[in-house]
Amino acid sequence: MELKVNQDNCLGCGVCVVACPVNVSISPEVSGGHGSKTTETIMMVENGVIKLFSEDKCTKCGTCQVFCPTDAIWLE
Amino acid sequence: MAANIKEVKAKDFNVERSAEEDRELSFKDESCVGCGVCETICPVGAIKLGSVGAIVRNDIDESKIEIDEEKCVLCGMCSVGCPVDALEFTVDGTPISEIETYPKLISSAEIDDDTCIYCKACERACPREAITVARQLPDRSKLVTGEIDIDKETCIDCGICEEMCPADAITIDQKGPEDFDIAVDKDKCVYCLVCKKACPVDAIMAACRTCSYGEYDLDPKDAEVTGKALIDDDACVRCGWCEEVCPVDAAKVEKPFEGELNLDLDKCTTCGACVDVCPCDVLFFPKSSAPATLDDKLMKDEQFCIYCGACENVCPVEAIDVKRTGIKCTPTKSKSWQKSIDSLKTN
Amino acid sequence: MPKHIASGLKYLAALELVRDGYSQKQISKMLNVNKSTLSHYLNGRNISLGSIEIAEIVREFSPRDFLVFTDAIIEDKEATKTIVKTCLVNKYSVEVKDSCIGCGICVDTCLIDAIVLDDLKAHIDSDICCGCRICAEKCPTNSINILEE
Repeated sequence: MELKVNQDNCLGCGVCVVACPVNVSISPEVSGGHGSKTTETIMMVENGVIKLFSEDKCTKCGTCQVFCPTDAIWLE
Repeated sequence: MAANIKEVKAKDFNVERSAEEDRELSFKDESCVGCGVCETICPVGAIKLGSVGAIVRNDIDESKIEIDEEKCVLCGMCSVGCPVDALEFTVDGTPISEIETYPKLISSAEIDDDTCIYCKACERACPREAITVARQLPDRSKLVTGEIDIDKETCIDCGICEEMCPADAITIDQKGPEDFDIAVDKDKCVYCLVCKKACPVDAIMAACRTCSYGEYDLDPKDAEVTGKALIDDDACVRCGWCEEVCPVDAAKVEKPFEGELNLDLDKCTTCGACVDVCPCDVLFFPKSSAPATLDDKLMKDEQFCIYCGACENVCPVEAIDVKRTGIKCTPTKSKSWQKSIDSLKTN
Repeated sequence: MPKHIASGLKYLAALELVRDGYSQKQISKMLNVNKSTLSHYLNGRNISLGSIEIAEIVREFSPRDFLVFTDAIIEDKEATKTIVKTCLVNKYSVEVKDSCIGCGICVDTCLIDAIVLDDLKAHIDSDICCGCRICAEKCPTNSINILEE
């Protein structure tokens, strides 16, 4: 099972970035919505769309998919 | 030597080897709670727990466990360890739960029909929808006694009684502009006298005798609710909700594992994966007690925990620790089986 | 050709069995050979010397090769068992360790039915065991030790 994104659907809202429990433990400021630039987190909003950086850290809990309003991030 | 044959049907699978004996392992994804006990107990590493969090929360069409039929030796240990009977193992067609040489987890859930009052509290509380209470209610007419009569000559066909009758016992059959029939169904009428009081022309004569001497006309036996409470063994996870909510102690549950469930609230990020995968409704987010107050991040009703460990497996930040301290199991003469069962205990 | 080698192996086994005091009637049953063919064998008729020579070479194979070869050319399991037992004379001590999980793979693998399961553990009959070690190799938990005595 892999984490996938579709940038065409992404609103750039960043809900997945904030909701992801792994992101929070890697970079607490991300969970505060500051979006500080780090490639250590699983995903980040870059230039208004979601981008995966360290998807190997994903534990496949499915939280991002639960919260994404446009089905732009999912596990498959 | 006969090779294993695997058959996959949607999310379920069968692995079979036919030689001296016919050995068959069947997996039912619907019963599986994603606890990973099978993965832990498998002596040859043939079972892999899937991404249960993603599968359960996003309804992904994927099996919760995977089996490598090349590695599986069809020993049956996974079936013995599975606390929810999602894996069934048969030898020559007989489930090993019925073969004495194989150990078996000791667990049960029963509802005693003699004590049960068929209130359906257990059916509502069961987190797995495993309980069905089928009940027959007594005839309403046998619980009341009285008299009712409508004088058709006086009746003006206004329909007020029909509209007001709470028991839908009165029907008016309109045959023509001035032609009608009015009737009272005595099996439905409870002699509440609403019709009598509402009738604008006093066309209804009725009396209730239930609370005066009428009680003697009634047989208490006629008021009994009968039925049967059924537990679907495939769906039941022995969580104990039914036992807790039963007002008459008719439900008895024995859990296969004993243990401890510990939450590390400093680590918890409230992602909710554990809440969604818990098969027993043990974990929940508290309601805020007042605006802008945050109570505990995550709470537990540990009395319903079966210590399966599904929540611990799914937590992305290691905020949950499930300790299994006891395994209730029938004895086995095999040292390797005993060792494997004991390995399910956590230190 | 395989049939000739099979006859050679049956001949070798028959000689051993006669020495062990079995009657021709018993031997014909044990090797699944009709009585007249058997008496021809024992009188050295109707069997080419080449077949006997090859059978004797086969007898020098390792127990495993001998068993697999015999199993392949003799189409009768009981006859295979008899030939293996009479032609392979070494004794083996067998041990099944407590790590055995009773999966039954050894039972399915054994070509001469030397293994049974009891109380979720394999039990190997050392009287039957020919030391081929196929079971030990297939055992997923490495629980079988077979040593030549």
